[in-house]
This record gives sequence, structure tokens and C-alpha cells, in this order.
Amino acid sequence: MTLEIQNLHVRIEEREILHGVNLKVDKDQTHALMGPNGSGKSTLANTIMGNPNYEVTEGKILFNGEDLTEADPDERARAGLFLAFQYPATIPGVSVANFLRLAVNARREEPIKVKEFGKVLRENMDLLRIDKAFSSRYLNEGFSGGEKKRAEILQLAMLKPEVAVLDETDSGLDVDALRIVSDGVNALRGPTMGVLIITHYTRILNYVSPDFVHIMLDGRIVREGTAELADELEEKGYDFIRAEVEASNAG
Amino acid sequence: MPASAATTWLDERREQAVAAYEREEVPTWRRSGFWTTSLRKLDLDALEPRRYEPLDQLPPVVADALGEDDLGALVVQRGASTVHAYVDPDLARQGVIVTSLELAVEEYPELVREWYMRRLSHEEGKFPAATAAFWTGGVFIHVPRGLKLDKPIQSVYLIDEPGTAQYAHTLAVVGETSECSIREYCLGAPIEGQALHAGAFELYAQAGANVQLAHFHDWGPGQIHDISTKRVEIGRDAHVGWVPVHLGGRLIKQTLDIITAEQGSDMRHTGLYFTERDEHLDLFTSDKHERGHTTGDTVWKGALTGNSRASYEGLIHIVKDAQETHTYLQTHQMLLSQDAKGDAIPSLIVQTDNVSASHGGTVGELDEEQIFYMTSRGLPRSEAVRILVEGYFEEVVQRLNDEGLQGLVRRRIAEKLLAAQDQVNRFIGERVGARRMPEAAEKEGAAA
Repeated sequence: MTLEIQNLHVRIEEREILHGVNLKVDKDQTHALMGPNGSGKSTLANTIMGNPNYEVTEGKILFNGEDLTEADPDERARAGLFLAFQYPATIPGVSVANFLRLAVNARREEPIKVKEFGKVLRENMDLLRIDKAFSSRYLNEGFSGGEKKRAEILQLAMLKPEVAVLDETDSGLDVDALRIVSDGVNALRGPTMGVLIITHYTRILNYVSPDFVHIMLDGRIVREGTAELADELEEKGYDFIRAEVEASNAG
Repeated sequence: MPASAATTWLDERREQAVAAYEREEVPTWRRSGFWTTSLRKLDLDALEPRRYEPLDQLPPVVADALGEDDLGALVVQRGASTVHAYVDPDLARQGVIVTSLELAVEEYPELVREWYMRRLSHEEGKFPAATAAFWTGGVFIHVPRGLKLDKPIQSVYLIDEPGTAQYAHTLAVVGETSECSIREYCLGAPIEGQALHAGAFELYAQAGANVQLAHFHDWGPGQIHDISTKRVEIGRDAHVGWVPVHLGGRLIKQTLDIITAEQGSDMRHTGLYFTERDEHLDLFTSDKHERGHTTGDTVWKGALTGNSRASYEGLIHIVKDAQETHTYLQTHQMLLSQDAKGDAIPSLIVQTDNVSASHGGTVGELDEEQIFYMTSRGLPRSEAVRILVEGYFEEVVQRLNDEGLQGLVRRRIAEKLLAAQDQVNRFIGERVGARRMPEAAEKEGAAA
């Protein structure tokens, strides 16, 4: 067991968004969390990472058995959690390479040697087919949507977390960019890195095939299954699932 | 100074300035809103020009700021006296003059007279009059036409004793098509007590010249007051990139004007300030376009800690008939303490048409989303804040285009942030807390 979310209730400002979410992600598994806009997917992603704007009112976030519900974001990151942001912040004046070096060093006792860092950075940039000049640009400043997503996956590759949450990483990507990002995720996931892919569409799941699929509606996980569930959703749509859930609740 | 025929004109100018000085009152500057700059706590009568003998070695404050930088020329004024002057023999051979203004008046009377206070006047108030009347030492820089200098020309004004009144005047002229870098540092030792630097600076970049100009102010934690006017005139097809940096001083009141005076002249004006403790900084800058087909670009960024006060007003002024002028001005201010106060005001006077001029100003705090993003990568909150503030200033630091000075500015900003670390973290922590608190109160209410 790596990441375990138990009966999580979350609110932002006055409104409760998540109404008791349960989810387990082992570090050798790939999960997909699917849901329409406003269903609470991004709230879950932000809460897992400890965004101070979201308040947990009930429930727990456990990581390797340790309760991280109240932990600061940097503690969670150092424990091995990672969030690829849907809308990553712009950090003016701080280059991609510089930021990555700081982030890599934040989870090490001894700072990484300049040469070794350069080598690992080059390898990962090659993996994601990122141009060399990219590393000296200020992080996310003036980046296109696709560049931002690639920069997120580059950080994922450099930081090697145990569980990575990808929040709508597929949105706004053209087919080529989606393939590059998916290839990157496929190369990184495996026995030591679990992934939770948060998405509205099934598109990315054609490239990164999940072991488990969860469907979220109105702040609750309403259906769970294997990869076939995504195919069913693709065929029937969220409205059908919603009607089905409401019918079973009524029954 | 011995009276000679050569300096009669200067004596006359000084006499006029003395008359203006005696006529003028010590001003209080007010700006819209809460802003006032007052000198009532400065005991002017207790200050006097202090004379010093030349020094074999640079004072530690100066040596520390200059580091290992390779300079083409250096003039150091301590208090009222020029204590060190050096020009690289290669530069001297090419006709470059860098010396005290006092000496230049004697040795190059015609040249000095041609440019002296062309764009400055003793009729601009008490302190400009005082500077014009009483300056001693001073700096004169003349780069003849057609030269390209690799090493910067450096001037330094140092105050290291309380009770000092330093009346300073730098006159710099860069000849047609010449390229050079000029740096002026205003440095203070950590003195106990008051002192005054009343300064004038003028630079004339002649046709086709390309000048990189930096002003670095770090008066230290003493009670040093700096009331100065700095003016830059840019000739036809000439370019000046001007980077003023303010990193310390009890009270600073400066007027910085940059004038694109002829067609094709281009200016880039990029400044930064970081105030702490009880410092008070009042800056007025103007970007004045006197001819058409000129371009400008002004960016100022500041950060405030402690209970410091900082006000920046930036004016774009495009005069009548200066058509086809394109310019913009941006000013940003970041508050890092709940007790600091400031404003950043861009303004615009356009007296012609067919121009583009835009301006914008922001006063804000660190963005919580940026901090979350950085901490989510494992950086502790305090480090995230430091990196964000350093990154915020980096745009300006880059424009210094000078490794030695960039290192100095980055080092000083890092030191100031470290000194304010607890306060900044508390401020930002409280803001997050403040957002959460009503919800927590409600939760207790609901439980009851």
C-alpha cells in the first residue's frame, strides 16, 4: 500500500466539494480517476498535495502508513508524492534547470554534483524530446500549453516520486504532444512508481493503459472497475452513468 | 580652490546657486494619498563637509563592493574629498578622461564648461541649489568619440563618518558612436548618527553612443540621507541602458530623468529597490521624449520589509511634436511585511498624437499559488519565498549586464531576505491563516 485516501471530505471556502472519497494507489499500479468538469477531481489532486486553500474536514490521507493529512506540501513531496499541475504557476526569473536542481536537492542530504545533474537532466529531456534551450528558460514563463505539460512531466522524471498524480495532463495537448507525454509516463511508471491519472476524457488512456478506473460524480466515487470501465464510459457517456447511479440509489 | 581665470565662470555659477540656496526653504514632498517625505528629523546644521587625505588602500566598504572587478578607471570620493583616482594607461592614451570634477575644471576648463549643468539647474529647489553651490571633489568622465571601452568606468561616493555633509557632482560625457559602461556606487559604512549626500549626476550620450549606466546605492544601516537629482540626455540614434539600484539608506529622495532628446534615441531604464527596517525611499522618475521617432522602456521593481516606506512615481512625458514615439513604463512593488507601506504610480503626459505609450503598475504580495507550486516540489516554504523574490528581481539584475555588479546585487538581496526571513514567513503564514480562520470558527460553531 502506498497512497491511501480514507473517507475524505474537503471544502474550499464555504462549500464542501468532496463528500467522503476512498482510494488506494499502490506504487506498482496505474489508476485513472475520471469525471466531468466540476466533479471534484482537481480538488482531490490539490488536497492530496496539501494546497492550503483546501480544507480537510473529515477523513485521512495516508502515505506508506504515515498520516499526511495535515502535512505541509514540501513534506509530502519529500515523502514521495508528486502532482503534475493542470495549471502550473509561472516562476519568473527562475530557470527550468535551476528550479529542478533546487527541487532535486530538497530531497537529498548532499547536493547533487553539477555534472551528474546535467547528465540526468539531458537524459530526461531527451526522453521527453525537449529542446536543449528549454532548460534555460524561466519556468513556465511564456510556455505554450504543451510546453507546460512537458515541463511538468520533466519534473516528474527528475524527482522520481513513489506516487504521481497527473491532473488533466492530457488537456490542451495535440496528438503528437500527447504521445510524447504518454511515452514519458509509460517509461517512468512501473514497479516503483504508482500513477493516478486524472482526466475528463478517455483519450490519454489509449496511450497509458490503467489497471483500475474510478468514476467521480459530484464529489463521490460512484463506479470502479478495470480498464474496460473506461471503454464503457467512452461508449455511454457521463450522463448515462449518472442516470444509472441515481436509479440504483433510488432503488 | 585657487581662484583662476579658468574658474571664474564656475564661481559665478556657484554664487547664483548660493543665492538660490539661501532663498529656498527645506522642502516637504507630498504625493497623492498618504505619502509625505519630510526632513524634519534631519539636523542639517549639525552636518559639515569633511576633508580627508588621499588613501593608498581602498576603504573596506569600497573594496568589498568592488571585489575583483576589472575597472578601466576609478575615482573615489570620501566625504568632501577625492581620495583615490586611477585611469588605466591604455584608456588615458586614447584620450579618456576620468578625474575629479574639481581637477577637471582646472585642467579642461573649456570642455567642462561646455557641458556643466546643461540639463541641471540650481533653480530646482533647496538641495539642487546646495549641490550646485557647495559641491567638492566630484567626478568628471569624458570618453572621446569613436571608442569602444571594454572595462567599466567607476565612481564611488563614500560616507563613513556621522555628521558628514557630502555635496556630490558627477558630469559624464560620452562622445559620438562611443560605447562604454559607467558605474556609480554610493556606499555607506554602518555609522551611528546622521549624514547627508546631496548629489547631482548628469550624463550626455552624444549621437550614436551606446552607454550602459548603473547606479548602485547601499548607504548601509546608518542614518544616511540621500537627496539627489540624476539626469541623462540621449542624443541622436544613441542608446542608454540605465539601471539604478537602491539597497539601503535611512531616507532617500531622488529624481531620475532620462531624456530622449533627438530622433532615433532609445532608452531602457530598469530599476530595483529593496527597503528594510525604518527606511524611507521616495523615487520620481521621468521618461521625457523631446523629439519624435524615439523609444523608451522603463521597468521598476521593488520589495519592502520591516516597517519601511517606499513610493515610486514614474512619468512618461511626450512633448508636442514628438510624433512616432513608442514607450512604455511598468512598475511593480511587492510587500513582504504587514508593517511596510508603499505605492507605485505610473503616469502619463502626452502632448502630441501618433505615439504609443502605455503604462501599468502593481502593488502586491507573494502569490500563494506560486508558493504552493514550489513547496509541492519539496522546497521548504522559506526557501520558496526566497527564490520567488530573487526571481522577481532577476529581470532587472539581468539588465545590469555586468557580472561583478550582478553578483553584488544578488548577494545583497539574499542577505536582506535572510535578515527578514522570520518576518516574511510570519506575514505570509498569517495571510493563509486569515483565510482559513473564518472556516475554523464556523466549524466550532457547527460542532456546538
